[in-house]
Amino acid sequence: MPRLRTSYLVALALAFFLLVFLVIPVGKVIYVAFQDSSTGALTLVNFVDFFKTSLFRESFLNSLYVAGMSVLFASIIAMPLAYFTTRFNFGGSILIQTLGIVPLIMPPFVGAVAMQLFFGSNGSVNLLLDQWFGINIPFMEGLNGVILVESIHYFPFILINLSAALNNIDRSMEEAAQNLGSTGMRLFRRIVLPLAMPGYLAGASLVFLKAFDDLGTPLLLNVNNMLATQAYLRISSIGISDPMGYVISVILVIFSLFSLWVSMLASRGKDYSGGGKGSSGLLKRDMKGWEKIGAYCLIIFLLLMVLSPHISLLLLSFGTIWSYSVLPDAFTTAHYAEVFSTTRQYITNTLLYAGIAATFDVAIGVAISYVVLRTKVFGRRWLDYIATGALAVPGVVLGIGYLRTFNDFNVPIIDKPLASWWVIIVIALTIRRLPYALRACTAALHQVSLSLEEASENLGAGKTATVRKIVVPLMAGGIVAGFVTSFATATVELSATLMLVTAESDAPLAYGIYVFMQSAAGRGPGAALGLIAVLVVASGSYLAHHFIERNKRMQATSTGH
Amino acid sequence: MSLTTQVQAVRLRIEDVHISFGPTKVLQGINLEIEPGEFFAFLGPSGSGKSTLLRAIAGFGPTPQGRILINDEDIASLPPWKRDVGMVFQNYALWPHLTVQKNVAFGLEERKVPKAEIFSRVEEALDMVGLSHLADRHPSQLSGGQQQRVALARTIVVRPRLLLLDEPLSNLDANLRVQMRTDILKLQRKLGLTTIFVTHDQEEANTISDRMAVLDKGIIQQIGTPMDLYDYPENSFVAHFLGTTNMIEGEVVTVDGSAVLKAGGGLELSLLDISVDGHHGAIVFRPQSVHVNPETAASSAMNLSGTIESLEFLGSTVRYGVKVGKITVLADEDHQRGKRVYDKMEQVQLVIPQEQVLFVKA
Amino acid sequence: MLLRGSCRTIMGRLALSAGLLIFLALPAQALEKQLTVVTSYPKDLTTAFKQAFEKQHPDVKVEMLKKKTTAGVKYIQETASNNSSDLFWASAPDAFEVLKEDGLLAKYTVKATGIPDVIGSYPINDPDGFYKGFAGSGYGIMWNTRYLKAKKIPVPQEWNDLTQSVYHGHTGMSAPSRSGTTHLTVETLLQGEGWDKGWALMKEIAGNFHTVTERSFGVPDGVNSGQFGVGIVIDFFGLSSKASGFPVDFVYPTVTTLVPANIAIVKNAPHPEAAAAFIEFLLSEAGQDMLLDPKIMRLPVRPETYAKAPKDFPNPFTDHSIGAKVKFDVVKSKSRYNLVNSMFDVMITYRLDDLRKATKAIQDAEKAMAGKDNAEAAKLIAEAKALIAALPIDETKSLDTEFAATFKKKRKKATDKVTGRQAEVEQQWDSMVKDNYAKAVKLANKAKSM
Repeated sequence: MPRLRTSYLVALALAFFLLVFLVIPVGKVIYVAFQDSSTGALTLVNFVDFFKTSLFRESFLNSLYVAGMSVLFASIIAMPLAYFTTRFNFGGSILIQTLGIVPLIMPPFVGAVAMQLFFGSNGSVNLLLDQWFGINIPFMEGLNGVILVESIHYFPFILINLSAALNNIDRSMEEAAQNLGSTGMRLFRRIVLPLAMPGYLAGASLVFLKAFDDLGTPLLLNVNNMLATQAYLRISSIGISDPMGYVISVILVIFSLFSLWVSMLASRGKDYSGGGKGSSGLLKRDMKGWEKIGAYCLIIFLLLMVLSPHISLLLLSFGTIWSYSVLPDAFTTAHYAEVFSTTRQYITNTLLYAGIAATFDVAIGVAISYVVLRTKVFGRRWLDYIATGALAVPGVVLGIGYLRTFNDFNVPIIDKPLASWWVIIVIALTIRRLPYALRACTAALHQVSLSLEEASENLGAGKTATVRKIVVPLMAGGIVAGFVTSFATATVELSATLMLVTAESDAPLAYGIYVFMQSAAGRGPGAALGLIAVLVVASGSYLAHHFIERNKRMQATSTGH
Repeated sequence: MSLTTQVQAVRLRIEDVHISFGPTKVLQGINLEIEPGEFFAFLGPSGSGKSTLLRAIAGFGPTPQGRILINDEDIASLPPWKRDVGMVFQNYALWPHLTVQKNVAFGLEERKVPKAEIFSRVEEALDMVGLSHLADRHPSQLSGGQQQRVALARTIVVRPRLLLLDEPLSNLDANLRVQMRTDILKLQRKLGLTTIFVTHDQEEANTISDRMAVLDKGIIQQIGTPMDLYDYPENSFVAHFLGTTNMIEGEVVTVDGSAVLKAGGGLELSLLDISVDGHHGAIVFRPQSVHVNPETAASSAMNLSGTIESLEFLGSTVRYGVKVGKITVLADEDHQRGKRVYDKMEQVQLVIPQEQVLFVKA
Repeated sequence: MLLRGSCRTIMGRLALSAGLLIFLALPAQALEKQLTVVTSYPKDLTTAFKQAFEKQHPDVKVEMLKKKTTAGVKYIQETASNNSSDLFWASAPDAFEVLKEDGLLAKYTVKATGIPDVIGSYPINDPDGFYKGFAGSGYGIMWNTRYLKAKKIPVPQEWNDLTQSVYHGHTGMSAPSRSGTTHLTVETLLQGEGWDKGWALMKEIAGNFHTVTERSFGVPDGVNSGQFGVGIVIDFFGLSSKASGFPVDFVYPTVTTLVPANIAIVKNAPHPEAAAAFIEFLLSEAGQDMLLDPKIMRLPVRPETYAKAPKDFPNPFTDHSIGAKVKFDVVKSKSRYNLVNSMFDVMITYRLDDLRKATKAIQDAEKAMAGKDNAEAAKLIAEAKALIAALPIDETKSLDTEFAATFKKKRKKATDKVTGRQAEVEQQWDSMVKDNYAKAVKLANKAKSM
């Protein structure tokens, strides 16, 4: 019986945390959407207004179109990369694995500015195209720009999930097809792709969701006719309590949850990962000379393309003046000197906040996944649903919700409103990045065989000891993966933190970049700060990746696979 | 056109095949000839290279050196999908996203067989394995035995030139295994397919195969019919691997013009009437060839005195472990009601007929 | 190196974060004089003033909290119940008006002397005594010299220049709903040219827009990087970009207004004395001198400071052509603040593609008609122009307080009643505007084919 009580207590604590820091603040904000603005009574008239307004219908369709096209382009980028890494033995695989997740870390503001300088109507690429061929391709105009940036930004979600799925396919699946005369694209289409479909769907639904919800990109590209921008513009205008912003937020949340649900349905009962028998992963082979050249060309082209924001960021951070020219006029290290001499606190704050948030995330992720998968607590699935639902809450909504909920709550001892204490930023980051950590932990726990836990309990270890000594170590790979994703994305989070920063000394990097990017002279230092963020996160991810691999090898040798 | 007609059984020849995984030599100098329509087994412990050899025939794994010939065509350099060699995988490798029907139809579709014919041939194949009623199920809804049959149907439906079975029974429980074994053999006879069967279980190999090859450390130790190999093992590995055996190692010396095996501990055994090759070797004989007599019996060429050290009752026989000098000799005595059973520590004399003793190189 | 300085704070924070969950007792923070300033100004400006002020008052630690003007207002509104900000420091007087109306500002009387009452034709300080002007700024046009040269586009001087077809797709501006200073430009135009003519001009200019940026800084950023060639910006964006080395230049058109950039003490400020000291510093000679820093470049409110300014630096106290044409009516501006913003968004920001298409069609038709004498075609073009210029409401309605209230509803009590829903009104406007633009395209195309 004590066992049961512990799991209920844990579940209750989790529920309390989610309620206080997610459900109530968000509820407080979106409640306005259901309020008649003249009487305050509950009503759905605002939703009627929404669908009656052609601008909103258009925005809705634009958001859908952008999300759909982003999935398409992200797939076009991710599929060959995933295929090459899992299919061939060659150096490019490591390159892809290392650099493939860098695009996820696109610092706010500077990322879009850098893209403009590269791909904009008068950016480097178009200036060259104009010079050579007299043409101008509108990469960055209107919805095109949003689609381009979103696909480049989020394709790693597909790359990661698809590669994992491909690596999990039992090798004999492919051999059996070859044995029956199938090969090449036919084999890929008929056997490999369907088997990797659940992984692909998981990644694609994330891309869809992020592109659908994303605010920063359309905002910076000045594309206003999309849902997230409309919501933001209406919420953040001076003095207006227009309920439309909140109506749109509700629609964003509902639609995002719906797309999560659809992707869950689509992959239900299709867990094709190998059951541990036989070797898994595609048949790897070496490439012939000309194949190698072709593959490297394709990969270098794709990597150049997906890393182009970072490349132009690099140029921007070292450039003096970059205006209507292919490259900056001259180069300097002054921007870095400025960043290091004046704004070190941004970097340390970010490491601290993202670090704490990611730690909380994996702790909560492990707890929720354990409660959901291993206990019979009533309503446990809802913990999962609600925590995952955070993925669908726009950052602005969460930020305003926190201001509304916690401004009147003074933290004892320091006697300051919780809403203006730096800890609230950490909590916001924790909530915003929890879904990533949760997914990773759940996947990891799925792979821990129940019998290993039973063996531990059989030898006299209690539930808590079993979790601590057996479950958590076995989940280490997934936990680290969750930590890295949460940490990396928290580092560059902007929307919620911008609302919650109350003191510059407490501000994270994203805020620092924002501040720099508000002045003509700040573009270089802002880019430098952005690049530092990328480097910090990339090296952190690399270390974690290294750790996971080592851990995997250790487990592999100890279990004799 | 039925699956059973149209059989043109092929001959498989493997000539001097070598395979390495990096620096590790997995197969060394394999030479083998399998007759048309023969049911042939590769038998060996894990790591012996038997699966690697089978996969090399199907075209999987590293490219081998040497030649693999079907009739007179060298297939060693062909990719798997051009070999027309059917293989049933150890874990069946049924595609979980396709129904049984689709799984079986796959190979025919790849061969661009007309739709109507695909339908009838799939039905025939499923009929043959007794699963036509489950055609619309997904593999995950089938039992292990049923999955095995689907895998078999999927392979034979394309009428491959060779049928390769990679430990097909290892994932089944004991009863099912015996059942499947007979079914597979029946099917093979019906189709007349040249078949290779990989197993580590000698009983399986014995019961099912016409001939077999015993592999160890990447080398074929011996080829022959199951009974040949059992009765005339050419080396100690084969002798040991095929059933329980007694083996006494030693140096061959000539005493008074006749050969004698000097085993350790002062034990000397006459090798009269036994063909001997080399100076170091061992004599082997099966436990059932050894007769246990009371100590008083007259001594002969291969009489050994010893002490009963252990006994195991196996039903039809009693197996004695008899200590002779420093070595233990196993002896099986038929058991019948009322027959005398020796006690532990009892002194006995072992009689081993010369014709049951083989000399092998160690 | 990077970590050394902050190591102690990190440890402290780690302890605090543990404390968050279990409310561990921690020693109370030493009482130190602080000053929290919510500001929309760029780092170059705030850091300079922060350092100079802290030098003068070593015991006060200044915290510069940067928010876009609109977000800053929102922030002060949302946190009013438990306020922690001392000063609000931004450009747009309207933003201060909004806060003043919500009762979120505190009155303060400046001690410094020697500051005139007006800059251009705009009163420097709030007549009610809530906020104070510390610098002047006016709207104008900035352009990228490389861009204009490469595309062979003439340098613009006046608002009217920007309506020419040569600028089609080359100009940019922020939306008034996004940026308080942009609102001033629009309102200046409306007051300077009159409601109908002002909007017509605005739409003609907007028909050439490359983009409407979300942030006011997006405009100088776009011009600086050469994304578009010409931008409508507040002076210091142009002047400071030029001073930072970008190949850009800036000009004041005749119709502009100089408005003060302001500072005010927030109501219930936790540190009112430090706040007052900061305002006094800002208005002192030393503080005013700092405005001439090349990275800052704002018009000081002390006339004598201009003596130290670089050559060619505009001086509104001697050059009366700057900002003198328009007498800016701040009451009018305030009363229809949200309404004008909403109209701009509905007619321009959200329908930019339609507007651009219509404008292009008219420009093409005019080009085709050039040199020909076709009265019918000219009539069609005039009709098309009128359709674009058409407004959903007239000036009287825009000043109707009850109607304007639809756009700034704030139900303070449950018993408050507000009529009409903004979404409903905007929806009507939107369909009218969309139809008009589409019709204008048809008419222009017809005229062109004649």
